[in-house]
Amino acid sequence: MTAIRRINIGVSSCGIAAGASETAAFLKKETNNIPIVEVGCIGHCYAEPLVEVVTENGSVFYEKVMPKKEHLDRILGLKEQGRLVMRAQRTEREKIKVLALAGRIAMTSLDEYLAHGGYEGLKKALTMKPADIVEEVKTSGLRGRGGGGFPTGLKWGFLAAKQAPEKVLICNADEGDPGAFMDRSLMESVPHQVLEGMLIGAWATGATKLFIYCRAEYPLAIKNLKIAIEQIYANKLNNLNGRTVEFKLKEGAGAFVCGEETAMIHSLEGKRGTPRFRPPYPTDSGFLGYPTAINNVETFGNIPLILREGGATFATLGTAGSKGTKLFALAGDVKYPGLAEVPMGVTIGDIVYEIGGADRNAVKAVQIGGPSGGCIPAEKFDAVVDYDSLKSLGAIMGSGGLIVIGKNRCMVETARYFLEFTTRESCGKCTFCRIGTKRMLERLEKITSGKGTDEDVAFLADLGPKIIKGSLCGLGQTAPNPVISTLRYFRHEYDAHTKEGTCPALQCNALSDVSVDKERCVKCGLCVKTCPVKAISGDFVVDNAICTRCNSCIEVCPKKAISRVEKGKGFYGTNGGAR
Amino acid sequence: MSITITIDGKKFTAEKGETILRVAERNGISIPTLCFSEKVAKNTSCFVCVVKDLKTGRFVPSCAMEAADGMEIASEAPEVRDMRLTALNLILSEHRGDCEAPCTIACPAHAQVEEYVRAGRKGDFLEALKIIKQRIPLPLSIGRVCPRFCEKDCRRNVVDKEAVAINDFKRLAADLHYDTYLEELPPLSEKKVAIIGAGPAGLSVAYFLRLHGIASDLYDKMPAAGGMIRYGIPEYRLPKAILDREISHFTKMGGISFFFNKEVGKDLSLDDLKKNYDAVAVTVGSWKSSAAGVEGEDLAVGGIQFLEKIARAGWKGDNPGKTIVIGGGNTAMDCLRTSVRLGSKDVTCFYRRTEAEMPAEKIEIHEAKEEGVKFEFLVAPVKLRRENGRLVLTSQRMQLGEPDASGRRKPIPIPGSEFDTVADTVIAAIGQKTVVPPGVKTTKWGDVEVNKDDCRMEGAVFAAGDCVSGPATVVEAVAGGRRTALAIVAHFAGAPFKEPYLLNVSRGKWQSLAKDDLVFLKEPPERKRTPQRLIPLKERTTTFKEVAFTFTPDEIKKEGERCIECSCTAKGDCLLKKHSEGYGAKPEAIVGEKPNFGYDTRHPEIILDRGKCIKCGICVKVCSEVVNQNLLGFKFRGFATRIDTAFSRPLPSPLCRDCGKCIEECPVGALDWKAKK
Repeated sequence: MTAIRRINIGVSSCGIAAGASETAAFLKKETNNIPIVEVGCIGHCYAEPLVEVVTENGSVFYEKVMPKKEHLDRILGLKEQGRLVMRAQRTEREKIKVLALAGRIAMTSLDEYLAHGGYEGLKKALTMKPADIVEEVKTSGLRGRGGGGFPTGLKWGFLAAKQAPEKVLICNADEGDPGAFMDRSLMESVPHQVLEGMLIGAWATGATKLFIYCRAEYPLAIKNLKIAIEQIYANKLNNLNGRTVEFKLKEGAGAFVCGEETAMIHSLEGKRGTPRFRPPYPTDSGFLGYPTAINNVETFGNIPLILREGGATFATLGTAGSKGTKLFALAGDVKYPGLAEVPMGVTIGDIVYEIGGADRNAVKAVQIGGPSGGCIPAEKFDAVVDYDSLKSLGAIMGSGGLIVIGKNRCMVETARYFLEFTTRESCGKCTFCRIGTKRMLERLEKITSGKGTDEDVAFLADLGPKIIKGSLCGLGQTAPNPVISTLRYFRHEYDAHTKEGTCPALQCNALSDVSVDKERCVKCGLCVKTCPVKAISGDFVVDNAICTRCNSCIEVCPKKAISRVEKGKGFYGTNGGAR
Repeated sequence: MSITITIDGKKFTAEKGETILRVAERNGISIPTLCFSEKVAKNTSCFVCVVKDLKTGRFVPSCAMEAADGMEIASEAPEVRDMRLTALNLILSEHRGDCEAPCTIACPAHAQVEEYVRAGRKGDFLEALKIIKQRIPLPLSIGRVCPRFCEKDCRRNVVDKEAVAINDFKRLAADLHYDTYLEELPPLSEKKVAIIGAGPAGLSVAYFLRLHGIASDLYDKMPAAGGMIRYGIPEYRLPKAILDREISHFTKMGGISFFFNKEVGKDLSLDDLKKNYDAVAVTVGSWKSSAAGVEGEDLAVGGIQFLEKIARAGWKGDNPGKTIVIGGGNTAMDCLRTSVRLGSKDVTCFYRRTEAEMPAEKIEIHEAKEEGVKFEFLVAPVKLRRENGRLVLTSQRMQLGEPDASGRRKPIPIPGSEFDTVADTVIAAIGQKTVVPPGVKTTKWGDVEVNKDDCRMEGAVFAAGDCVSGPATVVEAVAGGRRTALAIVAHFAGAPFKEPYLLNVSRGKWQSLAKDDLVFLKEPPERKRTPQRLIPLKERTTTFKEVAFTFTPDEIKKEGERCIECSCTAKGDCLLKKHSEGYGAKPEAIVGEKPNFGYDTRHPEIILDRGKCIKCGICVKVCSEVVNQNLLGFKFRGFATRIDTAFSRPLPSPLCRDCGKCIEECPVGALDWKAKK
């Protein structure tokens, strides 16, 4: 029988949400002599709780492992049932580099990190002149992974050139885009990799203060980072050729705008998190006036690799303008949501269809870059993932949120959803962003509620670009993107709402009815029991005068006999809500 | 190293560290700003000062962007101006307040109502008169006969459903000081204007021309000045001795001359006037009674002709006997009440709609009823004939149908409802028409056709008053006269005339407001409207004595306490108003939710009105960076952002020393002194 060396169980946030803590406790209790190791995320979040059984002959993965005897038997017996199949479509397209150790080593084990080449990059860096490291990063072609895409080597060069009593390096871990979790996963799974990147940065730039600005909503990342920092101190890994640096971990209070660098600096200084006019850029005057550079978690996560393999090797992967790999948080209407690491230059279609397993006939678009990004229609899925090509399509690379939008989703509603987020998260400083986003949101609400006119659409098209031009920071400068890009590719959906009074996706409540297909209905009565407002009669007719369009009946119907139909095509009872 | 930048194609040198705004200002290029102050660090919130960096294509706030060598800036380009306009429109879309008090806006002459009411409250009636006469040259008359547009929109209605008795301030101020107050008058120029018609509009033209140093000759077909207020408004509402006092002031001003019994088209020609004067103003009024289109209507007397005859006789005349007045307007009321005073014991008003639709003032209807006038509603005349020496009026009953163009429900005859009424006198007061002098172009309604912008008929001939607008009120005629005078002044200066755009943000009409929607500088005292005292009813029905008394100074001072002072404390120095007017920004350009964040008057001297705040935070910065206190701060985010004190407590004393530095820098009226200047 094949010997089991250890069992890894993913207990990063995605795993915990699926019940991995209970599974881990169960495994520990029910097994003897087999190490049960709590690891991070390997990216296949759809399969959580996910267990890797490491044997002398390699690994076997089991998905959706619950604290059940039956599941334990499968694992220990290396049974076929319950195995996670690593689909070739996915493995062929992914290029796991930054995440190589994620989910493979114990999250907070320095020893395991060291055993897998951890801190080799730092060791090498400390033998180099700081200026040479900056050059190495420039050679790698690494660009900021937080969304802006500014060349990291260039930024480090600015900071390195400054003469100042203190210099500051900040790790931006305020990942706030809805649907984005790349940074969280990296920090939880391999906190040392991020910290190693920062230490290399500190040596390269001469930074004396190291901040990690992490959103408070990431308690596990914070916990793991704190443990890792203590391990660094204990092993004096923060001694940079005789100069000792310390980390300060600051928990953000939940403002999306604090992911913007000047707002983040204000927040670190104890001020209200609002951006300020640049110049001066933070590398000239940042935290408390000191030269400051801010890099994203994933950017720092790339640094040890660049040092280990060399900038030139790193740059062999990717496109002319975008090097290396990129992490994407894949969500929405896909079969396999999770985290994917792909080389720059793969097509969007590769990510959506091959990695995400989305149905080619059911996808309408993707939203790339979260609320700051734009949507790209399925017809353009041949476009490659690269900072510049995405921009030309009206989207942005952003931090890596990638939300797949099915044909059953209304694009006006999608735009409204994202704009609602940015409107709420605007800091309120700039007129265009504070009031303009609100005014756009009001018009979108008007359109989705069936009261919109052509004038409202024209208003959106006029004001959107002005908000971009008239805002100080990235939030306002990108907030209208979801509206502008949906107007660009899905204008017909807006027009259907305003001119014809219909929602083509039948998603907008005010523009659709609910109806039961008599042919399919088996009169099981589940819908009648489920309906919270008693809108479905005993003979299975939905009274749309009462129905709140909550979709409960549609979801509960075992025969898919209930569906949305165009407004006016459903039945309306004469006595309306009187019942 | 010297820095050279280009702004709108012109090259300028700049010091290192100088912002684009400074360079522009130093060179006479004006860039609007709201949130900029040199006293504090860069603020960059309002984005009204944006310019375009032509090399990068970026729009940048000029107050913060430092000049760099070779920079090319566009400041007046259409796309830059459009960005500024949009920023202003966005700010206005959430701006809660009232630039002007609704009374001032409602007044056709835009008299500064709140200001003269305040002067009256303080007992400074001369000051009140000075303010009134800036817009209203006939305060003795208008103080008596105005239908009080101001009071209809008075916000005091929100508090206790009764407007401030505004017009009575005017009447008392004029009664006390009209005869002695003489405006500062510039010397007369060589220009002279002929004015045809010495009624309210003509007098107003003459008055405002004189204030600009321009003399005028007024020609009138009647034997005395005043036009409709002398011959159309009865003695009991406006005693002619008072009117004479009012007219005498015009002569006293110097440069204004009257020529009576001169009718254009008969006694003199428009062409001669055009030849002999530098400009002509046509203010002939609307003197012809409208035809009812009823068989036999020649047997009726026109309302205005009836009044004119009695006026010419010095408010004396024969008892008209049993009288029927057809019509529901103010002229009809005047005819009814005049008939009563002439001795008739049986006076009835026939009106084709109901009392609710009557255009006459409610107070006029009420006083007519008190004086014994009867009303027949939903009745329209069909035929008038003479029978046995008396008149027989055939009428038919009406019912109300759908609303017509005027918004009132249209009366529809009920078939077979005809009935006859016997009367001695039938007066048709159903409206008036303009009769223009020969050679004057008219609109399809028969009024004088003018260019709406500059009141010009043609060349140097202008027109104003009822003859342009159709029959209206004295205050409207006076307002039109002022506009025409200013247009003539502009014409003499060779400049085009268009009334400047004045921004007015408004919280709305009082009917749509609750107390919580308003801002009170202090809690309004509970006080009912001062009642109007009238002469005894017996005297009213038997004589033409003036019916209403002027309020006493004490009554006015107390009535003034009822004013809640709606206008903005900052209307004199509001930058949002200034730039909105400069860029044509309008509160209704972008419509959306206006949040109500309330206001704070707990400080004895200072008001924080969050509805007006543009959230620029300049006050926060000033308090922190200049005063070295941190008494103000932001709360919430995004659209919900507002300025507040710590824990929403009152501004702490003695930390807040009422230094007013925040008030000085506030671009609007969000932080201000409570006491209005």
